[in-house]
Amino acid sequence: MDYLGQQLVNGLTLGGVYALIALGYTLVYGVLQILNFAHGDVYMIGAFLGFFAMTWLGGPLAPTVPVALMLLVMFLVAMMGTGLLGIVIERFAYRPLRNSTRIAPLISALGVSILLQNGALLIFSPSIRSYDTSSYIPSTSGFSIGQVTIDSVRLGVLVLSAVLMVLLTRWVNGTQVGRAMRAIAYDKDAAVMMGIDVDKVIRWTFFVGAALAGAAGVMNGLLLRGVSGTMGLIPGLKGFTAAVIGGIGSVPGAMLGGLLLGVIESLAQGYLSTNFADTITFILLITFMLFKPNGILGRPMMVKV
Amino acid sequence: MLKLSNISMEFGALKTLNDLSIELKEKEIVSVIGPNGAGKTTLFNVITGLYKPTSGSVRLGSKEMLGLSPAEINRAGIARTFQNVRLFLNMSVLENVMSATFGRTRSGIFSSALGLKRSRKEEAEVKEKAQELLKFFGTRLTGYRWDQPAYSLSYANRRRLEIARALATDPKVLLLDEPAAGMNPKETQEITEIVGSLRAERGLTILIIEHDMHVVEGVSDRVVALDYGVKIAEGDFDHVATHPDVVEAYLGKGSTATK
Amino acid sequence: MSNLGIGTDEWVAQHEERSASQSPLKKLFARIPLWAKWGSFFVIAFLFGMFSDNQYLLRVGVNLALFIMLSYGLNIVVGYAGILDLGYVAFYGFGAYGYALLSSEQLGQHWPTYITVPFITILTALLGYLISLPSRRLFGDYLAIVTLFFGQVFVQLVLASDNITFPWADDYVDITAGSNGIPGLDTFNLFGFIFDDIKDYYWLLMVIVLILTIAIHRVSATRIGRAWRTVREDALVSEVMGVSVNRVKTIAFVAGATIAGFAGTIFAGMQTSVFINGFDLPLMIMIYAAVILGGSGSLAGALIGAIIMTILPELLRVPNYGAILFFVALLLTFFVLSKKFSRFLIYVVSIILIGFAFQLAMTAIGVTQANAEDWVVGFTGDLLKNWLFVPENRILWGNFAFILLLTFIAFFSIAKPIWKQVLLPFIGFTAIFLWEVRLIADVSTTRQLIIGAMLVVLMILRPQGLFGQTRVEIL
Repeated sequence: MDYLGQQLVNGLTLGGVYALIALGYTLVYGVLQILNFAHGDVYMIGAFLGFFAMTWLGGPLAPTVPVALMLLVMFLVAMMGTGLLGIVIERFAYRPLRNSTRIAPLISALGVSILLQNGALLIFSPSIRSYDTSSYIPSTSGFSIGQVTIDSVRLGVLVLSAVLMVLLTRWVNGTQVGRAMRAIAYDKDAAVMMGIDVDKVIRWTFFVGAALAGAAGVMNGLLLRGVSGTMGLIPGLKGFTAAVIGGIGSVPGAMLGGLLLGVIESLAQGYLSTNFADTITFILLITFMLFKPNGILGRPMMVKV
Repeated sequence: MLKLSNISMEFGALKTLNDLSIELKEKEIVSVIGPNGAGKTTLFNVITGLYKPTSGSVRLGSKEMLGLSPAEINRAGIARTFQNVRLFLNMSVLENVMSATFGRTRSGIFSSALGLKRSRKEEAEVKEKAQELLKFFGTRLTGYRWDQPAYSLSYANRRRLEIARALATDPKVLLLDEPAAGMNPKETQEITEIVGSLRAERGLTILIIEHDMHVVEGVSDRVVALDYGVKIAEGDFDHVATHPDVVEAYLGKGSTATK
Repeated sequence: MSNLGIGTDEWVAQHEERSASQSPLKKLFARIPLWAKWGSFFVIAFLFGMFSDNQYLLRVGVNLALFIMLSYGLNIVVGYAGILDLGYVAFYGFGAYGYALLSSEQLGQHWPTYITVPFITILTALLGYLISLPSRRLFGDYLAIVTLFFGQVFVQLVLASDNITFPWADDYVDITAGSNGIPGLDTFNLFGFIFDDIKDYYWLLMVIVLILTIAIHRVSATRIGRAWRTVREDALVSEVMGVSVNRVKTIAFVAGATIAGFAGTIFAGMQTSVFINGFDLPLMIMIYAAVILGGSGSLAGALIGAIIMTILPELLRVPNYGAILFFVALLLTFFVLSKKFSRFLIYVVSIILIGFAFQLAMTAIGVTQANAEDWVVGFTGDLLKNWLFVPENRILWGNFAFILLLTFIAFFSIAKPIWKQVLLPFIGFTAIFLWEVRLIADVSTTRQLIIGAMLVVLMILRPQGLFGQTRVEIL
C-alpha cells in the first residue's frame, strides 16, 4: 500500500511536469491548429537557462544567495527566456505560414526543433551539466506520510506546478487576453471581426505556453539532477501525448492528461516490467485514440458540408 | 425512382428534417425551395449518405440506400453537386471529371503499374468519356482548358465543371444544389436549358435546390417547399409560389404574393 | 487582419502575369521531355556503376538508392494520398529486422534469400494494411499522432524484446537483442550468386529504382493515382463521387509500406547488421525533409530531394567540398536576393569591408588571434586567412556569432526593406565568420543545422518544394 502511495506521489510529481508541457501544446493548438513540435526543445532551453542562472549565482556547491532566492531567480530567468523564445519562434516559423497549407507549419516546426537541438549541442556541447542540488537541499528533508516520503525537491515541484496551473486557469478564464484566446480558438475569423488583435493574443499564447515549458524544464532539471541538449525529446513527446489524451485544445484536458500520464507511467514502471512499460503505454494510447480521438475532454470537430 | 419516406434528422435537440416524404418518378424534375436553414442541403446530405437520419428511409428504385457508404450510394446511381462548389481545385479540369469514373472502372494498382493492355484501354476510354462530357457545355471547357487546374476557372465554369464531374459517375438521379447561384441572367438561362436537356438527352431524374424562381419555374415538373425541415407545400410552380404558407415562410406573416 | 483566402478573380488576373514572368531558364527546362530528364539520371547511374570501383562512392550510391526508395514510398503516402504518416520509418525497420531475424544466429534461422525477401516484404505489406485500418476512423492531425505512436511502439517493442519472460517459461527469451542490435547477417544469396561486393547491391538497387520509377509514374497518372489525389484534395467529396476512400487510402498505405519493407531487407542484407536506433525519428525527419524539399506529390521531386539529402552530408564531410558548397550557397542566396548585379557587387564589397573593419577593431581591442594552422581547413581557409580575423577563443566567439547571426536574421525578417539591405552584408559576414570559426569543424551538427534552417526557410519561401505545384487549399 505504501509502495502504491509512493508511486502515486512520484507519478503526480512527474505528471505535474508533463501537464505544464502539455499545456503549451494545447494552447498553441487551440489558437493555431498546429502541433508545435519545437515545444519539447523550448522546455530543454528552459532547463539550460535555469542552469546558467544557477551557475551565475555561484552554482550548486557555493551559492552566493539564499537557496530560495536562487531558485526563484532560476525559475524567473528560465520562464522569461523561454517565453521570449516562444514569441520569436512564433514570429519566424509560424506567422509567415498562417495562410499556407496545413502541413507547412508542421514542417517548419520540425525545422525549428532541429535548429534548437543542434544549436544547443553546438553551444553547450553534448555533455550533461549537473544540476545537483543535494548539497544545499538535503535529500532527506521533506516529510513523510507513513512510509511514503516526499523529499523537498519533489514537494516543491508538486506545489509549484499546482500553483502555475491555477494561475494559468485564472489567466485563461479571467483576463481579457485569456478570453480573447479562447475566442480565437473557437472561431478565428469571427474573433478578428470582433476587433480582437489576433497577432497580439497569439504572441501572448506562445509566451505563456513556452514559459510554462521553461518552468517544467527547470523542474525536471532539479528532479533529475542534470540537463543535456537532447533532454527535450522524450518529455516533449510525453507532454504531447498528455495533451492529446486530455483532448488537444482543452486546457483542463492538458492538465488532466499530464497528471494521468505521470501516474500511469509511474505505476507501470513500479509494477510491470520496466521493459515493456513504454510499449504498453503507447499501445494503450493508440487504442484510446481509436475510440476517443478527441481525448477525454476534447471537443469533436464539426465540419459543415 | 427515388423515394424518401418519413425522413427525420436531428442534431442533438435541433430537428433539421421532420418526417419528410418526397417521391420522384423516373425522369421527373423536382425543385426544392425554402428559406435558408430550411434543411434543403441537409436533405441532400442524407440522400447521399453523408448524414445518417434519425429515422426514415431512402429508396432508389427498390434498393434501400440507408446505411450504405456515400461511394456505394453513388455507384447505385445518385450523384450531386455542392452548394459552395467543391471541386478538386489543384487537379486539372479533365482530371476532375476523369476521377469521378472511379466507381465504374476497375484497373487496380498492379495492372496500372505493369501497364497492361486492359488498363491502358480503360484509361483511354475514361479520357474520351470525360472529354465528351465536357463538350456538353460548349467550347468553354474544352481544348486547352482540359489541362488547366480547376482553380483557374471562373465561377460559372466551376459550376459547369461540377455538373460534368457528377455526370461522369453515370447516375440515374442527379441532385443539384443551387446550380444557378451567383450567376448572371444569361448564365442562369443556360443552366435552365442544360437541366432540361439533361433530362431529355440523358434520361436523368433530377432534384434541384434553387432560390432563383426563374430557374424553378422554367425547369420543374413539380415543386416542393420546405420550412424548418417540414414540407409545407407541394405541387406545380404556380400552386406552390402562391401558397400562403410558402409566402409566409419567405416574406413573413401578412404578405401577399404576386408574380 | 486575417487573409480570407485566394479570390478567383485576383488569381485569374494574375495568371497571365505569372506565366509571362517565368524565367527563360525555367521555360527551357520545361521543354526537355520527361524521359530525357529521368534518363540522364539513370544513364549517369549506370555509367558510374560500370566504370567505378571506388568503394566509398559506391556505398554512397547504395545509400542514395535506398533513400530514393524510401522517398518514393513516403511520397505515395504523404504526397499522393495526403496521409501524414509519422511512423513510416517503422516499416523500413520492420523489413530490416524481419530479414535479420531470418538470416542470422539470433534465432538460428538462415532462410534462403529468395524466400526471405519476398516473405518479409509481404509481411510488411500486411503490417501496412493493419495500420491503415485505424486510419479509416481518424484523419488529419489525429492520424499523424497515431502513426507517430505506432512508430514509437515499434521502436519500444524491439528494444524491450530482448528480455521476455513468457508465463510458462522459466528463463527469459531474447528475440530482438534490444539495443545491441543484430550483427552477422547473411548477405544476399540469390540462387548461388553471392552479393559479396557493394557493387552487386548497387546494381540491384539501381534496377529496382528504375522499375519503381516507371511503375509509380504509371500508377500516379491513372485511376488509382487520380483517386489518391482526390482523396488528398477533398476526401468527403471524393467519396460522394464514387471513390472508395478507405480502400484507396489503404492501397496507398500498403504500397508505401511494401516499398519501405523491401528497402529494409536490402539494407539489412547489405549492412549485415541492424540497430534499432537507425529506424527512429531522426531518419523519419530526413525522409520527410527529402520529400518536402523535392515537393510532395512529385516523383521527380522525391528523387531530387533524396539526392540532396544524401549527397549534402557527404559533401560536408570533406572540408573542401563543404566550403565550396557553403560559399556557393551563400553567393547564390545573395545573388537571388540582390535582383540586380550592381547591388550584388555592393553586397560583396560591403562584406569585404566589414571583414577588414572587424579585423582592425579586434586588433585594436587586443583580442588574441588564433594561429592560422588551428583553423585553416581546406583551401577557403587559405584564401581567407589574411582577411578574416579568427579569435583564439573560437568556441566562445563562435557561440556569440551564432546567437548574433540568429538575431540578425530575426531582425531581417521584420525589418523595413531599407534596413534589410543594410543588414544583409552583416549577415553575410557573420555567416562566413561562424562557418570558418566553428561550423567547419563540427560537421554533424552543422549538417543538422542546415537541414533545420532549410526546412523553415523552405516552408516560408516555397512550401511546395522544388518540384511541387503551388497548391490552393480549402480549410
